[in-house]
Amino acid sequence: MSAFSLHVENKIATLLFDMPNSSVNLLSISVMRELEAKLDELKNRKDIDIMLFKSAKEGVFIAGADISEIESLTDEQTSHDVVRNGQIILSKIRVLPFYTVAVINGACLGGGFELALNCDYRIATQNPKTKIGLPEVNLGVLPGFGGTQNLKHLIGKQKALELILGAKLINGLKAQKLKMVDSCVPEGYLEFKLESFIKAILDDKERAKIDATRYKMNLLERFAPSLIYKFALKEVMKKTKGRYPAPLEVIELFKKTEKIPLNEALSLEAYAFARLCVSNVSKNLISIFFASERLKHDTFVEKEVLPLDVHDISVIGSGVMGGGIVWLFSKIDKAVRLKGRSYDSIAESFKSISKFYDDVLKRGRITKREVELKIGHISYTDKYNGFNNIDLVVEAVVENIETKKDVYKDLESVVNEKCIIASNTSSLSISMLAEGMKKPERFIGMHFFNPVPRMPLVEVIAGEKTSNQTIATVVKLARDAGKTAILVGDCAGFLVNRILITYINESVRMFREGASILLIDETIEEFGMPMGPFSLADEVGLDVGYKVSKVLEEAYGERMKVAPILEEVINMKLIGKKNKKGFYTYSGKEKEINKEVTAIQPRSRAYSKPEIIDRAMMIMINEAARALEENIVKDASQLDMAMIMGTGFPPFRGGLLKYADSLGIEKVYISLVGLEEKYGKRFEPCELIVNMAANNEAFYKG
Amino acid sequence: MSQRVAIIDGLRTPIAKASGKLKDLRADLLGAHIVKEVVLRTGIDFDMYDEVIIGNVGQPSDAVNIARVIALRAGFSDKTSAYTVHRNCASGMESITTAASKILSGHGEIYLAGGAESMSNLPLLFTKGMSDIIEAMLRSKSLIDKIKTLSRFTPSYLKPIVGLMQGLTDPLSGLIMGSTAEILAQDFGISRAEQDYFALASHQKAERAQKEGIFAQEIAPIVYDAKNGLIMSDDDGIRYAQSIEALTRLKPFFDKRNGTVTAGNSAQISDAAAAVVLMSESKAKEMGLTPLGYLREYAYAGLEPARMGLGPAYSTAKILEMTKMKMSDFELIELNEAFASQVLANMAAFESKKYAQTHLGRDEALGAIDTNILNVNGGGIALGHPVGMTGTRLVIHTLKELRRRNKNVGLATLCIGGGQGASLILEVE
Repeated sequence: MSAFSLHVENKIATLLFDMPNSSVNLLSISVMRELEAKLDELKNRKDIDIMLFKSAKEGVFIAGADISEIESLTDEQTSHDVVRNGQIILSKIRVLPFYTVAVINGACLGGGFELALNCDYRIATQNPKTKIGLPEVNLGVLPGFGGTQNLKHLIGKQKALELILGAKLINGLKAQKLKMVDSCVPEGYLEFKLESFIKAILDDKERAKIDATRYKMNLLERFAPSLIYKFALKEVMKKTKGRYPAPLEVIELFKKTEKIPLNEALSLEAYAFARLCVSNVSKNLISIFFASERLKHDTFVEKEVLPLDVHDISVIGSGVMGGGIVWLFSKIDKAVRLKGRSYDSIAESFKSISKFYDDVLKRGRITKREVELKIGHISYTDKYNGFNNIDLVVEAVVENIETKKDVYKDLESVVNEKCIIASNTSSLSISMLAEGMKKPERFIGMHFFNPVPRMPLVEVIAGEKTSNQTIATVVKLARDAGKTAILVGDCAGFLVNRILITYINESVRMFREGASILLIDETIEEFGMPMGPFSLADEVGLDVGYKVSKVLEEAYGERMKVAPILEEVINMKLIGKKNKKGFYTYSGKEKEINKEVTAIQPRSRAYSKPEIIDRAMMIMINEAARALEENIVKDASQLDMAMIMGTGFPPFRGGLLKYADSLGIEKVYISLVGLEEKYGKRFEPCELIVNMAANNEAFYKG
Repeated sequence: MSQRVAIIDGLRTPIAKASGKLKDLRADLLGAHIVKEVVLRTGIDFDMYDEVIIGNVGQPSDAVNIARVIALRAGFSDKTSAYTVHRNCASGMESITTAASKILSGHGEIYLAGGAESMSNLPLLFTKGMSDIIEAMLRSKSLIDKIKTLSRFTPSYLKPIVGLMQGLTDPLSGLIMGSTAEILAQDFGISRAEQDYFALASHQKAERAQKEGIFAQEIAPIVYDAKNGLIMSDDDGIRYAQSIEALTRLKPFFDKRNGTVTAGNSAQISDAAAAVVLMSESKAKEMGLTPLGYLREYAYAGLEPARMGLGPAYSTAKILEMTKMKMSDFELIELNEAFASQVLANMAAFESKKYAQTHLGRDEALGAIDTNILNVNGGGIALGHPVGMTGTRLVIHTLKELRRRNKNVGLATLCIGGGQGASLILEVE
């Protein structure tokens, strides 16, 4: 079966792209070959005035290249040849003896847009699914089918850079404004608007009018492009600290192709693509992309189990987490009922809810009218009333078993039969909390991370008796709210905190032994974590962190023993950013090392950065391997997603276990053994690592 | 009425002084908050309601059918219809009686009725002269046209019409409500001191009731400033330790020279919303609900606009005739306090045989109003009178107070700008 079919009527040709056995159109290597044959055949057609590129797929024009093919490219020369060949094929569109129009009604991404860029004209629709852009840098590569050059010539260097570096996806109207397309029409009008568009192109005078709307180079772009590049570079460095080579290559390519002929420029683009394509960063980003795609479709239960509809949600607890969760659900237009301990505490949480909305407003993603409507979805009460029709409750009260159990008892007397009860506990066992409940099958853990608007992860924790339908419902709800949901086992600290706490603890020990707080934070940030362990501890609150650490110490014993010096710090009433004093002191935007803390450091000694990273990462890898061994999470790729989404573990490293793989498990094992000798049993490699090292295995197979 | 109609439950927002705490919440937002809360607490699913009916006087230009806006904001689905009713100060009762009629005629089973008013948000209007110019400017094409149009302008056109004042003025008699209160004071010879003492009592009763938490039983607190985390839980018009001296010091507001009606012995201008859930008695039984109480009968009557304050006498005469009841049958009376003189005038009219004969077409007096059961927790003078909302508040408050007192039958009545009266007989079991 062919992906392309040609239909000619009244000298108007339509080349319909309909990739067999796929819901989307992709420019795979074999599709490109077919396209080339079609184009070669078309170049001698005298009976055609104009040809339309159309897609037969609902909501998709062309979704881009086949990413798994990019993933499999490991050799620089081959990579170059693949894209170079792609450039040549797409450029054949340009030399066809008739006009060509890309009819973009749906997603038009990456290679798809690069194809459209080779057409003479582009018409888009206002269909909300119509998204146009070159998001290749998200996968650690750059547009390699001529996209960098053709877009630059179409819309100018500055706009092209913004679009490519930001991996921005643009809707039809915006695309027209940026001159990426010549026309944008409502989807329902497409047929007859297209007819008049064709007529206009075939009429010299009308066509000239369309051509006159195209971008014209301005003075800045003509005479001082270096300013544009300098500014772009500054932005990229600010955002990525230079950890991601693709955006840097893009800017470099723009610079180098400033004054050379198109053909040479395209060749440079292909080489740049090839360099990036074989890099570890790109492979890691692609691996994350696929992991996240797989996650989106993983329901964690049998396919037959259908999630319940959730429209009315109640949140119990008007603290920081409660406020964040209320905000999140009101934002996705759920009716939310906030039950707080008093109306004053409820009013207090409205402060943060309204601040979160202000943040979204500032980013221009929402209008004031919509905000008013969404805040209107929130009702509030200081008693358990108005719960009859609640579909799901999220409990977010203090981390205390008795308090939580009291809440569940109250809830069970007011909610309906089908209502799901979820706890936002960060450390208490779900099975334990479920003890004494009348219907434990409806009880589940739904662990959001702080701050809720910014942290994309939700850990879903099933207790022994939690039903599959409860799991499916909570997973779907989290995803509907735009979060990444991962099912994890019911152990102390669940997955992310359990792993993360080991490294914070280890950092505190290093401090006790004489390492400087600043050096540790700096080193870890250079490694790629968004925040060093001491800054993070201050942010979360030392009191909260200490409480969780204690729970973990109780559960896991010796290896999670809270560093004694942390207790000293807690006793000094330092609780972090909340009271402006933790490992750092805070005044306004200023942040300085807290001298009270350094005063209790018994000695100081020089530490090397590799030493710090070794201790911080090895202790986490060991704990992660244990979690995997205990089936706390399905596989290494889900664990890595959890770490990336829950802690900001650097995506360019592909995740914690991917990082371990990149070191080699044998080396991990040797490191752990060495650390164990020096610092004690907490570094003792777990069984999984011992076995993997012995059998020369990796966390990621194949 | 052929049958009673059950009122399942009702709630209101606190009443805020106009241009005060609730000034940034438009009437539709106030209404949506309370409607949502009543529906949730009553526990009947949104989709089971047949319709939403809301009373509102100062119908905002950005939400002209404010009931529909309130319904959708509150969480009703698109398919629930909604409309707004207007009977001036009785709009919040009209919504209830309209719903009752629809229930009894079988047009629907379950209704949400209420009233919402933001007197803070009544607009300032352009004068007719000014709006004529603006309109002409929009139509003028050439520059000369425009200059010609502009030349018609005189500075007096800039003085805005205060929508609130215009709304409180009867266009036929040309009298602002306060002036109709002055007429009643004259008709019945009610002194300034009598009015001030009545006002004082209203504040004292309301102060006691607020301190005892009586109003809290009908109020759902409302967040009025999310940014700064501010919430309002109590009515803020009640003056604690109000004194006769303070009231006496105030100057007459409407008739500066000879008048007796002051801001202190008139109802306050305020913002608030209230809502109730209604259904037939049999439907309530079928659903296993215990209603807060019942609407037994209602009546509206008209009289001359200049003496609109006596509306309760007319509508009560009508309802007593309809039900063959006597004033002494009522164990509790809520007679809205628009003005102290207006309540006092009604008291005089109710017990006057002569007034009954000359005005009400009755041989005998309506019957004296027992002050021990009249407005037992104060009224509009202390609490405020958000015009479109008050009617609903009176119904809720009468029923809850009957329950507190273990009594069964109450009368809620109010006077209506433009010359009407409304009377509702309410019962609890």
